[in-house]
Amino acid sequence: MTPVAAPPPVASAPVYRTPDQPTVYAALTQANVRVSTTFKGARIVLYGAVFNPDDNPADVVVVVRGPTQPVRLVRKVKVAGVWLNSRPVLFEGAPGYYMAASTRELGQIADFGTLRRLSIGVDHLKLEAPEEQQVVSRYGVPDVVVSRLAGDYLDWRNALIRLKQKAKLYDVDARGVSYVDRNHLFRAELLLPTDAPTGRYDVQVMLFKGGAKVSERDLTLRVKKVGFERSIYSFAHRSSWLYGLMSVAIAMLSGWVASRLFRRT
Amino acid sequence: MDIYLPIAEVSVNAPLLVALGCVVGFISGLFGIGGGFLMAPVLVFMGVPPAVAVASQANHVVASSASSVIAYSRQKGVDYRMGGIMAAGGAAGAFLGVEIFRILRLLGQADLVVALSYLVFLGAIGALMLLESLQAIVRRRRGVVVAAAAERKRPWFYGLPWRMRFPRSGLYISVIPPIALGVFVGVLSAIMGVGGGFILVPAMVYVLRMRASVVVGTSLFQIIVTTAITTFLQAGRNQTVDIVLASLLLFGGVIGAQLGARVSGRFRADELRAVLALIVLLVGLQMGLQLFVRPQEAFAFAPGAGK
Repeated sequence: MTPVAAPPPVASAPVYRTPDQPTVYAALTQANVRVSTTFKGARIVLYGAVFNPDDNPADVVVVVRGPTQPVRLVRKVKVAGVWLNSRPVLFEGAPGYYMAASTRELGQIADFGTLRRLSIGVDHLKLEAPEEQQVVSRYGVPDVVVSRLAGDYLDWRNALIRLKQKAKLYDVDARGVSYVDRNHLFRAELLLPTDAPTGRYDVQVMLFKGGAKVSERDLTLRVKKVGFERSIYSFAHRSSWLYGLMSVAIAMLSGWVASRLFRRT
Repeated sequence: MDIYLPIAEVSVNAPLLVALGCVVGFISGLFGIGGGFLMAPVLVFMGVPPAVAVASQANHVVASSASSVIAYSRQKGVDYRMGGIMAAGGAAGAFLGVEIFRILRLLGQADLVVALSYLVFLGAIGALMLLESLQAIVRRRRGVVVAAAAERKRPWFYGLPWRMRFPRSGLYISVIPPIALGVFVGVLSAIMGVGGGFILVPAMVYVLRMRASVVVGTSLFQIIVTTAITTFLQAGRNQTVDIVLASLLLFGGVIGAQLGARVSGRFRADELRAVLALIVLLVGLQMGLQLFVRPQEAFAFAPGAGK
């Protein structure tokens, strides 16, 4: 990036008075992601500006949380030489998508307690887990609800995060936020894989100075299925029996059509 | 040309799916099997969730079997009476199988049961069929004449109650064995996402001893009924049928099936059986052996967390 020798952009923005406090402004290039037939994942650019009255450096952290969902996990265990699945373990809630992007390593921006309190970074991600072990029955199947106090809680927690990271649903990027000019204008990118959950995503843009959060902007991103995709999905779920009947009819019909066509030729 | 599948919620290459449908359809028309046992592993490998793969390809099997049954019917190669009786058993089996699959999936044991079923059924049937067809080929080459099926001793279950005449199959037997076979294949159809042709064809030849010329057509007819019911139940009960995925597969499938049914007459029956046996055996081993290999990742997501 070529450095631009221009006055701070915030000062030139007519809507805002020049603030006395360090302040962050941000916006998304796209507030709605539409999942259609050609959906191949999405790349959304977040851009923003920092007003920083003094010369002490400021850091920007962007945290995105997708809709919270329950998650079930199984663990492969070896029984009599064969690898089997254990009984499912249930996390009552985990973000369907999580991203933490920052200008530097999170550990250099704020201390452990601050990051934990604000739930920044996968190590500090809040997963809903009760204090005591319990068993819930879902559809007649007993699930062990993972307990925060159980001895292997960390194994399960790490596995959940690792699997989500592998699916590109969780991401931590210490260079994800980059300044475009000298510490004023910044940008970050959100990458949504094709299996990103639909729903409301909360985007927090935070400004850190001297290890403390000094300013924050909250944005919302919506991911929804549209058009043909949406019609099929809701048809399959709302009138599932009719949908099944239609699927079979299409199959039978195309089998018949093909055999007609081939008889002629 | 990637396309986003609305139910599977992944994006896959559309021409690749059509080609896959075509290849499996060809094999299906050639051997008189649904070909589901070949397609499910490939779809899972492409990233389609197993439950969606199993349910959607059942729909593909409906289409390609329908396409080839019509071709066989013209050659008087379908025993509708036998097929209908087996299909009644198949319908009951499919109901049972969809419920079993639902519970297994929620228990997180669907993968295990699917892999085990592949290993046991495909492995055993592939091995037996390979052995038998190789023997038949050797005998034919040496010019040994084997006693015709009718002259051999009749199996005990021919004489069970409710005997019925099946003129096209050349049989006069009890309806209990065909119904039992239908139920068994129906259950497998739901659990493995297959039509069950790989079990039906050998069972009709070696157990029921039907006339060889009607085996393939009748097996396909019974498969249509069973897989149509499976598709309907999977869609209604589990919402796992992806119509976009199924349509792409069956577009290729119906064409492949026609080509397969056409060329099947050019090969000797025992040689076709030997090739089919080999394919069945290899797929069974491939799917089953994963149970004995240490997984790279010890943890996995289980479905059914709910909304």
